Amino acid sequence: MRALVIDDSRAMRRIVGTILKDFGYEVREAGDGRQALDVLQEGKAEGWRPDLCCIDWNMPVMDGLQFVFAVRANPEYRQVTLMMVTTESETGQIVKALAAGAHEYLIKPFTADALRDKLALLGLLPEEVSA
Amino acid sequence: MTLSEAAPIAQPITELLDAETVQSIADEVWPSLVGDGEAFVPVPVPPPADVVSAWVDIIGPWTGSVVLTCAPATAEALTESVLMTRPPTVVDSEDVADALGELANVLGGNIKSVLPGESRLGLPQIGSAPSRGRLDDVRSLVGQWRGNFLTITVQGAAPAPHAERNEVPL
Repeated sequence: MRALVIDDSRAMRRIVGTILKDFGYEVREAGDGRQALDVLQEGKAEGWRPDLCCIDWNMPVMDGLQFVFAVRANPEYRQVTLMMVTTESETGQIVKALAAGAHEYLIKPFTADALRDKLALLGLLPEEVSA
Repeated sequence: MTLSEAAPIAQPITELLDAETVQSIADEVWPSLVGDGEAFVPVPVPPPADVVSAWVDIIGPWTGSVVLTCAPATAEALTESVLMTRPPTVVDSEDVADALGELANVLGGNIKSVLPGESRLGLPQIGSAPSRGRLDDVRSLVGQWRGNFLTITVQGAAPAPHAERNEVPL
């Protein structure tokens, strides 16, 4: 499994990345939506495509919602699961993200177990971890 | 829209948010971000001579900032805990700004969610805490982490300075 963690906080990228690596994911990182699109583009050249993108909402340059719109507009990434990982917890924001094309929503702060539950729900938990 | 451009709400933060809610948010944030078993304890200790603050702005029906303030040494220790670094790895000032900023961001996002109306959250900033607005528009929790001084302050924005009039004599 491959994941792209998109957050302007290095600390948060590290936290999410560490949990995902513990679950057996190969993880790449980006500091904002624009950088994330670059990582996707670079990955395309080497045949690397994420199964999952964990996306913060509030970021400079290109925010998480703009990234979701950009990815959803590209049919090449139809199979990529998009999960918002953000402090934006109002119902209106959740609805907005899901309507834009995000599949799941995880509110900060969260525990490793909460992330694990979301991945299980999405069918993105490797068998050896879910067993 | 910037902080100073936002229309102030009549209701101060003290009428919108109680100390227990701020504490309950901190109770969720500390174990998940700072580490298992870690807690912000609302028991005041003497403030240090030098402090650093990280904050995020909330812009909406209520406009202000959520500010986390502690001593620089506490900020470093918090960063080491958030980043799970162990000696001999040392954290640098960028790490501290990032980790303290993310703590303020998560606290601010959760505080925003309990305020009325639709609001927007700014990006984290670090430095000297922004100026406060009305005296009654402040909800502050003074406490400690691992025995070190730390405060979480939710404060209204300072009013925008009045534009100077250019009076031209007739």
